[in-house]
Amino acid sequence: MMKKRPVLTIASAAVLATTLSACGAAGGSTSGGGGGTVTVGESTSLSGSIANLGQTGLQGLQMAISDINAKGGLLGKKVKVVSADDNITPATGASNARSMITKDHAVALFGPVASSIASAEEQVAAQYKIPIFFHTSNDVSLMTKTFTPYAFQNVPNTMMEPRAVADYLAQKVGSKQITIATFAPDYSFGHDTVDGFLQALKDLHVHFKLVKQEFPPLGASNISSYLSALVSAHPQYVFNAQYGGDLVAFTKQASSYGFFKDTKVIAMYAYAPLAALGDTAPVGAIGFDRAPFWAIDTPAMKTFVKDYQAKYGKYPTEWAILAYASAQEWAYGVTKSGSFDAAKVSKALPGATVPSIIGPMTIRACDHQAEVPEYVGTISSSGDSSYGGMHLYDKPVFVAPFDKIALTCSEATAQQP
Amino acid sequence: MDTVVTDTVGVLTTASSLFIVATGLTLVFGALRLINIAHGSFYMYGAFLATTLVAHVPHVGFWVALVVSPLVVAVMGVVVEVAVLRRLYRREHLTQLLATFALLLIFADLALRLWGKDVRGIDPPAVVSSNFRVAGAVVPTYDMVIVGVAGVVGLGLWVLLARTRLGWRIRAVVDDPEVLSASGTNVPLLLTGVFALGALLAGLSGVVIAPQQAVQPGMDAQIIVAAFIVAVIGGLGSIVGAAVGSLVIGIVQTLGAVWAPSWASTFMYALMIIVLAVRPWGLFGTPER
Repeated sequence: MMKKRPVLTIASAAVLATTLSACGAAGGSTSGGGGGTVTVGESTSLSGSIANLGQTGLQGLQMAISDINAKGGLLGKKVKVVSADDNITPATGASNARSMITKDHAVALFGPVASSIASAEEQVAAQYKIPIFFHTSNDVSLMTKTFTPYAFQNVPNTMMEPRAVADYLAQKVGSKQITIATFAPDYSFGHDTVDGFLQALKDLHVHFKLVKQEFPPLGASNISSYLSALVSAHPQYVFNAQYGGDLVAFTKQASSYGFFKDTKVIAMYAYAPLAALGDTAPVGAIGFDRAPFWAIDTPAMKTFVKDYQAKYGKYPTEWAILAYASAQEWAYGVTKSGSFDAAKVSKALPGATVPSIIGPMTIRACDHQAEVPEYVGTISSSGDSSYGGMHLYDKPVFVAPFDKIALTCSEATAQQP
Repeated sequence: MDTVVTDTVGVLTTASSLFIVATGLTLVFGALRLINIAHGSFYMYGAFLATTLVAHVPHVGFWVALVVSPLVVAVMGVVVEVAVLRRLYRREHLTQLLATFALLLIFADLALRLWGKDVRGIDPPAVVSSNFRVAGAVVPTYDMVIVGVAGVVGLGLWVLLARTRLGWRIRAVVDDPEVLSASGTNVPLLLTGVFALGALLAGLSGVVIAPQQAVQPGMDAQIIVAAFIVAVIGGLGSIVGAAVGSLVIGIVQTLGAVWAPSWASTFMYALMIIVLAVRPWGLFGTPER
């Protein structure tokens, strides 16, 4: 009989519970390379607090592939998607990626949500010389410090995103002195984004005083204490790097303080959080979005939104849209090189301009960063009737051009290995 | 002055929401000597059920959920106790832990199938959705609702355990199930009842906390860690301990967030380690024999 120290067991189990949630197995398998089909794989987070990001990204990829198949496939072959849950763990992501390459014979991989996992998978992909496309994780170091010729990033990175927001803010405040607080999840993404934002403000010569910085844990079940500290600091602006469910929880609690009346919050108010908030969306707050379907006016996007709605009964998230564009990028590389061969595809893409649902997307040769913009706007006081009364951004939406917010090629290559 | 009020409200709200969750966990441990990781699932199901009820019952959805969700979750608790846990009472803590951890994973998968992966949310009812001012500081009304519910739960449990014959039996069942059984108490039924009450409290906490949170997959595992830390610091099995534990965590987190923001979450774990080192059975717990 075990009698002693139950408490220690419990404590260790509690830790276990967070790190170990559901062990996912690769969904689907069977051959890829031979016969009439070719396989691509996506290992991403399909359980836990960021499941919505992983799930909708995977849906975007699946729709892109089914659209490709509907048009006769690629080089005469049908394409098949295998997927797996990484449980928000780098080791699981890496082993999923490895198994997709070796067992499923995947010829391309599509990236996970978390940058730490992306980094692990980037190395696996490079070992096996298989191209990997990141459509959600956006750490700039994936294309700089840990760059490999097989990695591609199709999302505004941690350098671009905060610079875009800083540009927008600089236009609004001009030479006024402002007070700013920051609020971000306590891991590399949160810290990098906040640092990038503050640095960008300095570069733009915005006169600001930093009055408070809070870093609540990612997915914190209770942020009352962090929030009350923020409220007590009375900042004029808050830059918030939370996203998804965390941002929804922040907004609800901050609203109950009447916080949005005197403070302008700047955060990733993309489609999913705005939809979850509905009528309680924080009017007047500044939102940024990597690919808002309602602000990208291309016929291809319209068709995609219609198809996505028909299939999933809701609007696509930016994760779905950028995953779709990533699949288009890979397909373009295959068609252009006339081969599924990873080396040929990876060589065909740098420098190319790929037609995609977000418009023509140029893949910068020096770091394989797609030249995508970031969208910034103020949340509108009136609901948009064409989108079920959702509060979107005031028009026109500010589109921060790639050239103004990205690292230059020489800055990027200087950091590459 | 307004800062003092804001921080006090922060402490009370944090402590209250932790207390409502931790109290069911500690109650079950006190009577059943069972470490129930699936408590997090009950909490999540309470919240998910509330989002469904609010979506389908106009206007009064929240109040309906406040009653219905905990009851549904209590029934879940009965099923779990009878089907699985009853077989584990005399086993090692580690076995119980793994079994309830497995239940947490199963319930998490089931929830994905029932409710999907989208972020959901419910709004607080209109009467308590605004805020008021105390000494120049804004106080969210719903925060006070959470504090109130915590008070009612704490008081109710104290009356039950300290002032009723049923409570006396619940306290006695750990020490001497044989004697209790000989004196005419249906011990298995009592244990099922206590477990159901624990589940009910978890379900209730899910509904009460939902308007302040994003309701989404993963909230089960997140809450269970916080609830365990509170229960461990206070002493597993002790309701007073859960109250003091949540208050301590509330103070540490809030003042931590004010004075040393980048360390705020570390303080909580550090505190747990100190308590474990000095008093492994927690502030108000009793050492297991």
